[in-house]
Amino acid sequence: MKKIIVENLKYRYPLSNELALKGISFEVDKGEFIGIVGKNLSGKSTLCQALVGLVPHFYKGAYGGSVIVDGLEVLKSEISELSQKVGIVFQNPFTQVTGSKLTVYEEIAFGLENMGISREEMRERIDNSLKLLDIYKFRDRNPFDLSGGQMQRMAIASIIAMKPEIIVLDEPTSQLDPQGSEEVFKAIQNLSKEGMTVIMVEHKMEKIAKYSDRVMLLNDGEIVDYDIPEKIFSRGDLDDYGVTAPVFTKICVGLGVKNKITGLYPITIDEAYDLVVSYNE
Amino acid sequence: MKVLSLYQDRDTVVHKVDPISKILYIIISIAIPIILPYKTIGLLCMSVSIILLLIAKVFKKVIPLISFSMIVLLSIIIIQGLFKAGNKTPAFHIGTAIFYKEGLLFALEICIRVINILCAFAILVLTTKPSDLIECLVRRGLSPKIGYVLASVLQIIPQMTATMETITDAQRSRGMETEGKLSVRIKAFLPLIGPVVMNSLINTRERAMALEVRAFNSKASKTFLNEEQNGRYNKIIKIVLILLLLLAVAWRVLI
Repeated sequence: MKKIIVENLKYRYPLSNELALKGISFEVDKGEFIGIVGKNLSGKSTLCQALVGLVPHFYKGAYGGSVIVDGLEVLKSEISELSQKVGIVFQNPFTQVTGSKLTVYEEIAFGLENMGISREEMRERIDNSLKLLDIYKFRDRNPFDLSGGQMQRMAIASIIAMKPEIIVLDEPTSQLDPQGSEEVFKAIQNLSKEGMTVIMVEHKMEKIAKYSDRVMLLNDGEIVDYDIPEKIFSRGDLDDYGVTAPVFTKICVGLGVKNKITGLYPITIDEAYDLVVSYNE
Repeated sequence: MKVLSLYQDRDTVVHKVDPISKILYIIISIAIPIILPYKTIGLLCMSVSIILLLIAKVFKKVIPLISFSMIVLLSIIIIQGLFKAGNKTPAFHIGTAIFYKEGLLFALEICIRVINILCAFAILVLTTKPSDLIECLVRRGLSPKIGYVLASVLQIIPQMTATMETITDAQRSRGMETEGKLSVRIKAFLPLIGPVVMNSLINTRERAMALEVRAFNSKASKTFLNEEQNGRYNKIIKIVLILLLLLAVAWRVLI
């Protein structure tokens, strides 16, 4: 079942002469984990915002093509309507704090209150999402007193509590330490296994390689490639697009170690380890 | 965490009364001395407010408020005591300035009313969480957007002050003089305020997007996480207050 269908999406920001997205088309199935990679200004964030309706409803600007999310055409739907189908977490956790709530618990309730969820269900959902992101112990703190990483977890939790069918994450782990970002990735992978569709922009290639089902390589507002991570990271021209392959892949490229069956370089540490060991035997 | 609010967190009976009753109390404790312009009634209202403040254990916080208004009150006493039209009976004199009884009594009445108003507002401000008050008003039909603006201002302004401090430190560490003569301070002002304004504009845009995606503009009827404190005594308080008001009106009309 197709969850997201994007056809020939073109978009230009107001007061700008250049297209930010130059005719993008792709489809995403239900429950897929999609990683989006590409250098800065390649259109990753714009694409994310196009999925939730911020492009074009919030920014205005010139828009062409169509984005259909879970049966709703973005251009003809309102952001509040779309926000119940698809949630987005932004890069900067600080500006995602509403500022009108005094505790983390109430902060997460903000979206649910707006949606009109009943009190009992609200409490259940908030508890679940707080525990999922491991910030249950901070529930009575003031949101502004949290560290960057904790705020980032709170931002993710407040979207997850709204139970969207699709979650879009724009560099959600930029402020987290390695252990913290691994935990967040695991939590998101669990959601993905439960059937939530995940779209994630991330610069940590090792993580993208490990968790994504498919990877989209963007450059200059266009899709260069959209395929399984092994194929994307085995490309010889990644440097041209400002992307580096996971370090394990680079080692195997240097050694010339390929997976004999698929003819592709390995992308995770376990796979690389197995191949290097068998190569040396 | 700095919050722009005078709220004092105590666990007293007064804190448990709902904000609407407190607002009603303000209105009525201002209205009654106007309807019944006797000094004893004014004094009575004032004492009731002060007793409530004492019960709420926040009276200490009111003293600075009252002493600040003392400057104004003092000038009222002097001017009315010296110059009120209809001054006849001299009370006492300081040097050549003669204070009259009528003027002083009139000034006393004004002072009682001012202190009464201050105390009544202090009960609301010092014993009610701003967020509770706003939520209460939103429940009663205040637009959630206005409610959000009121609630967020209390937290976001301290955040902007903090940003201002960070930027000041950053500019100072690059060798900019921010202290000293007035001319130096004025020169330092622009490079400081520029980043602060830009920063808050960008933050506001991002926050607006974050609110949008959390269904802020949803047309669904809003629900509330916190249950409304709606004890039976709140109803009784309101009824008693309104009865008092009616009684005052009746007294005025009949006598």
